[in-house]
Amino acid sequence: MIEYVIMVIIVLGAIITLMQKDLLKAAVVSGITGLCVAFLYEILLAPDVALTQAIVGAAIVPAFIALAVKKTKRTDD
Amino acid sequence: MIMDVQLASLFTSGALIVIGLYAAIFLDNIIKKIIGLSFIEEGVNLFLVALGYKLGGIVPIFLPGMTKSSFYANSAYPLPQALVLTSIVIGASTLAVMLALVMVLYKKHHTLSTKAMLGEDHE
Amino acid sequence: MNELIPLIVIIPLICALLLNLLHGKNRISRIMALIVAIIIPIIALVASNGLHFFGGHAPLTFNPSLLESLPASLLSSRVILFHPAITYSLAGLEKIFIFILGIVIFLALFTYFNKYKKVSGPYLFLIFMGTAAVSAMLLSDDIFNMYIFFEIAALTQTGIILASNTEGSTETALKYMILGSIGGPILLLGIGFVLGVIGSVNITDIVYAIHTGYVNPYSPALIIGFAMIFFGWLYASGLPPFNTIKSLIYSKGTPESSAILTTFSVLTMVAFGLVMFRIFGYLSVYKITIMLFSLLAMVLGVSMAVVQTDYRKMLGFLAVGELGFIAIGFGIGTKLSMTAGLFQAFNDIVITSLLFIGFGIVYYLTGTSDTRKLGGLISLNPKVSIMILLGGLALAGVPPFNGFQSKLMLVQSALNAGFPEIAIIIVLVSIVVFMTFVKAFHSIYLKPKPKDLGFVHKEVPSLAIVSIAILLIICLVIGLDPNLITYSFGQYLGGLI
Repeated sequence: MIEYVIMVIIVLGAIITLMQKDLLKAAVVSGITGLCVAFLYEILLAPDVALTQAIVGAAIVPAFIALAVKKTKRTDD
Repeated sequence: MIMDVQLASLFTSGALIVIGLYAAIFLDNIIKKIIGLSFIEEGVNLFLVALGYKLGGIVPIFLPGMTKSSFYANSAYPLPQALVLTSIVIGASTLAVMLALVMVLYKKHHTLSTKAMLGEDHE
Repeated sequence: MNELIPLIVIIPLICALLLNLLHGKNRISRIMALIVAIIIPIIALVASNGLHFFGGHAPLTFNPSLLESLPASLLSSRVILFHPAITYSLAGLEKIFIFILGIVIFLALFTYFNKYKKVSGPYLFLIFMGTAAVSAMLLSDDIFNMYIFFEIAALTQTGIILASNTEGSTETALKYMILGSIGGPILLLGIGFVLGVIGSVNITDIVYAIHTGYVNPYSPALIIGFAMIFFGWLYASGLPPFNTIKSLIYSKGTPESSAILTTFSVLTMVAFGLVMFRIFGYLSVYKITIMLFSLLAMVLGVSMAVVQTDYRKMLGFLAVGELGFIAIGFGIGTKLSMTAGLFQAFNDIVITSLLFIGFGIVYYLTGTSDTRKLGGLISLNPKVSIMILLGGLALAGVPPFNGFQSKLMLVQSALNAGFPEIAIIIVLVSIVVFMTFVKAFHSIYLKPKPKDLGFVHKEVPSLAIVSIAILLIICLVIGLDPNLITYSFGQYLGGLI
C-alpha cells in the first residue's frame, strides 16, 4: 500500500520541482524526489542501490544544484 | 487500482522519463534543464532495477544458513542492480561537470536563459 | 587467457592518471606520452588473437574437468555455453583499428608538443582516457561495459573541446553535454529492454538466444530496444539529427584536437554499429532506418559544406558527411557492403586527421579561418600545399588513393544488393565533395594574395609536415594494395554472416 503512495509522491514531486520560480526550492524538492526513489528501491529488493541513491540523489545532487544557484541567479525569470 | 509493484514501478519510471524529457527540451532556464536531465537518469535507473524484481522474493544477499538452491529460486535478479550502481555515479559526475560549465558561462553572459546564453534554440 | 588484451586498455589509463599528476614537469610528460602512444599500436599488433575472460570465469564448455562433476540435467541444457564473466575478444579487425588509433594519437601528440612550450597534464589525461575508452569499446563483448566506456568517452570529448579554448568552445561543450545526457540514458534504456527480454548482457549470448529461438525474435520489446540503441548510436556518431552539433565541435577545436575527436567518433560508431548488426541484423526495419539516416547524413553534410566560407566549418561538415558513407555500408547488410563500410571507416580516420592537421597549419600561419580573406599561400610553402591537395583528392575518392578503393567497393556492393539508386547517390555526393574541396583549396592557395593579409607566424612547423607526410604515405600504400586491410575484415565478417 505504501509503495503506491511513494510512487504518487515521486511523480508529483517531479512536476512541482519544475514549476518553481525559486531555484533553491527546486533543488530541495528534487532532493525529496530522490529520497522517495531510494525508498522505492528498498521495496524493489535492492538495498545497496537504495543506499547509493539516498546519498547521491538526496544529498549530493541537491547540494551541487544549490551551489550552482548560489553562484548564479536565484530566481527563474 | 491494484497492480503489482513491478508494473507500477515501470509506469513511474516512464513518467519520470517523460517529465525529464519535457524539461530538457522545452524549458528555458538552464538549471531546470539540468534538473530535468537528472530526472531522466533517475527514471532509467528505476526501470533497470524494476526489471530484476521477483514477486515474493528475497534480497540477493547470501546469508549463512541459506541453502544454495533456495537462494537461487527465491532471490531477485542481481545483475541490473550492479548496472544501476555504476549508472548513478556516472549521472552525478556528468551533472557536476554541467553545473560547473553553467557557472563559468553565467560569469560571461549574466543570464541563465538558454536562448541568450547558447545563441540559438537547440533540441 | 591472453593477458596482453586488457593491457591495451590498462596502460593508457595508468598513463593518463600519471600524466595528470606530473602536470608541470615538461620533459617527463612529453617522453612518457610519446612512449605510451607508441606502445599501444605495438601491443595491438603483437598480441595473439583470442578471448580474455575477466576473473578467469570461462564458460563451462571450456573447462572439461569441471563439466564432468555437474548433474546431467545441466549438461544437456544450453547453460554450459553461457559466458559468466566480461569477455574481451581480439581479432584482426580490432588490431587494425587500434593500430590506426595509436598512430593518429602519436602524430597528434607530436604536433601538439611542437606547438607549445609547456604541455598541459590534464589535457594529456583526457586524450589518453579517451584512447583507453575507445579501445575498450572495440574489444569488449559485453554491452554494458561498452556503455560505461561510451559515457567516459563522451565526458573526455567534452573536456578536449573545453581545453581548446577557442571562441565559443564553452557554449559548444555545454550543448554537447546536454545532448549527451539525453542520448546516453536512452541508450541505457535500450540496453535495459534487451536485458529484460533475454536476461544477459553478453553479446555472444544475446545473439545465440535470438538465433536459436530461445526468445521470440520479433517481440515488440526487442524492437523498442533496437530503436533506443539506434538513437544512442545516432548521438555517438554524429548522424542526423546530431550532425550540426558534431560539426560545430570539429570546427571549434584546435587542429590536433579535431583530429583526435573525429577518430574517437568514427571508432565509437564502428563499435556500436557492429554490435547492432550482430544482434539486430535480421530485422528489415534495421536496414531501412540505417539506410535512411545515412542517406540524410551524406546529403545534409555535403550540402551544408558547400555554402560555408569558413574552412574549418566546411571541413567539419565534410567529416560528418563522410560518416554517412560508413553507415550506408552497415545498412545494406551484405558481407561486401560491411567490408566496404569498415574500410571506409579506416580511410576516414586517416584522411580527416590529415586534413585537420593540414588546415591547422594554415590557421597557424595566418590566424584567420575565413576563405574570403586568404589567398596565394602556395608561394609560401609549395610542398605542404601539394600534400593537402593530395589529401583532399583522397577524401573525394580519386585513384590511386584509398578513398577511391573504399568508395568503389561501396558502389559495387550497392549494385550487387539491388540498390542502384544508392550507388548513384554515393557517386553524386563524392562529386560534390570534390568540388567543395577544390573550391576551398583554390581560395586559400591558388588565387592571388590580397594586399591586407598579415602573417602571424612565418615558418611552417616542421613536425606537422612530418605528420601529414606519414598519413599521406599510409593513404597511398593502402590505396595501392587494399587487400592488406580488407582481408582481415572479410575474415571477421565471415564468422558473422
